[in-house]
Amino acid sequence: MSEEEHVLELLIGPQHPASGHMRLVAKVDGDVVVSLRPDIGYVHRTVEKLAETKNYIQIIPLIERPPLADTANHNLGYVLALERLLGIEAPPRAQWLRTLLAEMTRIHSHFYGLGIHGIMLGSSTAFMWAFWDREIMIELAQRLTGARLTYSYMIPGGVRRDLPPGFEDEMDKALRYLERRIPDYHKIFFDNPVTRARLEGVGVLRREDAIRLGIVGPNLRASGVPYDVRKVDPYCAYPELDFNVVTREEGDSLARMMVRVGEIRESINMIRQILKKMPDGPILEERYLKMIPPKWKEWMAQHRRIKLPAALISLRPPKGEAVARVEAARGEAVYYIVSDGSPKPYRFRVVSPSIRNVVLFEHLIRNCRVADIPAIYGSLDYFPPEADR
Amino acid sequence: MMGLLEWILDLLLSPWLFVPLIYPGLISAFAVLLFIIWFERKLAAKVQLRYGPLYVLKRLGGAIQLVADLLRYLFAEPIVPDQADRLAFIFGPILLFASSYIAAIAIPISYDFYAFRSEISLLVVLGLNTLAPAFNLVIGWGSNNKFGLIGGLREGFLITADEIPMFVSALAMAVLYGTMDLVRMVELQSEWLWGIALNPLAAVTFFVLMLLSTSRFPFEIVEAESEIVMGPFTEYSGILYGLTMGASYVKLYVLSLLFAILFLGGWEPLPPLEFPGSWLILPGAVLFLKALVIMCLSVFMRAVYPRYRIDQALRLAWHYLFPASILSVFLSLLVLSGWSI
Repeated sequence: MSEEEHVLELLIGPQHPASGHMRLVAKVDGDVVVSLRPDIGYVHRTVEKLAETKNYIQIIPLIERPPLADTANHNLGYVLALERLLGIEAPPRAQWLRTLLAEMTRIHSHFYGLGIHGIMLGSSTAFMWAFWDREIMIELAQRLTGARLTYSYMIPGGVRRDLPPGFEDEMDKALRYLERRIPDYHKIFFDNPVTRARLEGVGVLRREDAIRLGIVGPNLRASGVPYDVRKVDPYCAYPELDFNVVTREEGDSLARMMVRVGEIRESINMIRQILKKMPDGPILEERYLKMIPPKWKEWMAQHRRIKLPAALISLRPPKGEAVARVEAARGEAVYYIVSDGSPKPYRFRVVSPSIRNVVLFEHLIRNCRVADIPAIYGSLDYFPPEADR
Repeated sequence: MMGLLEWILDLLLSPWLFVPLIYPGLISAFAVLLFIIWFERKLAAKVQLRYGPLYVLKRLGGAIQLVADLLRYLFAEPIVPDQADRLAFIFGPILLFASSYIAAIAIPISYDFYAFRSEISLLVVLGLNTLAPAFNLVIGWGSNNKFGLIGGLREGFLITADEIPMFVSALAMAVLYGTMDLVRMVELQSEWLWGIALNPLAAVTFFVLMLLSTSRFPFEIVEAESEIVMGPFTEYSGILYGLTMGASYVKLYVLSLLFAILFLGGWEPLPPLEFPGSWLILPGAVLFLKALVIMCLSVFMRAVYPRYRIDQALRLAWHYLFPASILSVFLSLLVLSGWSI
């Protein structure tokens, strides 16, 4: 038989329960996937072009939209780039608060990924549990920032709010609860013989390939490459934190999942350290703090939050360009801004971790079973809107 | 007038009408369907820290949610795709549902109440029960959808992998009891021990194969939502979809009744109660409760396991369950020889 006669082209998505906002064009021979091509771009929202029409401060909410779930890390990446352009640096306490929210976001983003992976394998229990436990960090982030997901918490020169009263105790309770929960996940999902059978040795990404393809984040670390921007190019409070880069050697779907679980544990430790070591002081850069009238300053001290000074709203960075990178939950995110001295960026560029990992679909989902498509997809924690931007 | 009423009652209570129509046939199958799907959702919700069905009859925890769903299915438009094979598309689900429950007619509900008693009633139940998956293939092919086709083919692979070991492990019990008459089997179990104690291997094998053949987790492979949308039923809507969804539960119901008779002593032991109609109601209720426990256990697996890949399920069936079912035949022979000594 010729190839056309026994190869079936399967269009998975965009109207499919497990495709996400994208289409996977799979060529299937019997139960074996011969090749798979991801067709992305269904949720392209012209974030980069839109940013050129907005004031710098307006871009913060904009760039939080695409990588939903992992908002704070992308917020941080943009703000760091902007601060480099402005030549300012946030005061120490703001740096620590930023790190705190970034790690909280990493926890709930990883739970989100684990939950989606669970339902892709058919474990509705893992899905429901992960989405519930994610809610705990979201609730605490809401107390800190006032929003569930799109925090817009980090602003050039600092953060919007200080820790609310009683936050440390609540967080301590939450962290202890999460630590108690992780063994439950092991029992019902991670160590479930069916999960193991579905994930072990499935979609193996070798170390050389991971480096050659430019993979980032947990997917890279699961292949045994200890690359983490938080260690390689530390920012905010990370140099002062004691944490390990979680790596696995196997490079299969299970390893990718377990790296995320390990990172949740590391983030829990980091949050403990942050709350213990956080320095006192202002949460906005001195230059902007000086512009705030004394009446507002009183109000700010009373409510532990910032009133945005007018100078921040119409920022005019000097002519030039700046780049910043952060370790977002899904991997390295790069922000690049070119300024022509006007209140709007001349060019704005986002390289999100998902767009760098999308190549894995084609690379990993080949000569495997149809049922392995969602198993591998879920293990990548790929998020189409983040890739499409 | 009285004569007519009595005649109707007699007719309804005559086994050859009561068994296929009321219990264990159509009406009780529907009742079980409504209960077990609600129970499955409620149980999974309990494990998953949520409420499950709640708002339809809140006082009973949303117990009639499935009635509401069924009504919705009834009034929704069943869309027949343009390119589908109309005959196969429309009659597939109806025949699938019918063939799923038809095996219930050969199941006795007491020593003297059955539609027919046969020397080979076990084979009749097993044989009729094998009919249903064939219609999954027809549906998958007829709906002219690639996911449907893959789902149908998956069912095709699984039929042979689950029905053959299932036959063998059921026949292991026939070897043990020395008969294929279900009534006689219950009689023998009340004299000896329950089948599950006599041949636990056959019971475990049969139970796992039940999960496999009725597409319960971890073998929910034919409908696997994240892979092939809804398998053979992808294109269905309205009441036709309702039928396809109910069919596997009805098949589970029939197999659970068979499991209760083969391994759990059927309608024995009877509680020592006397009331009008107790000759029929008591054994029926005991058998029903045992089957219900088995069904609840089967649907609970949803909260515990993800799903296997089809090649893993086939390997499990052919490499482990098939040899286990053959071993269970030898175990039966061993028990028999031990008994005679």
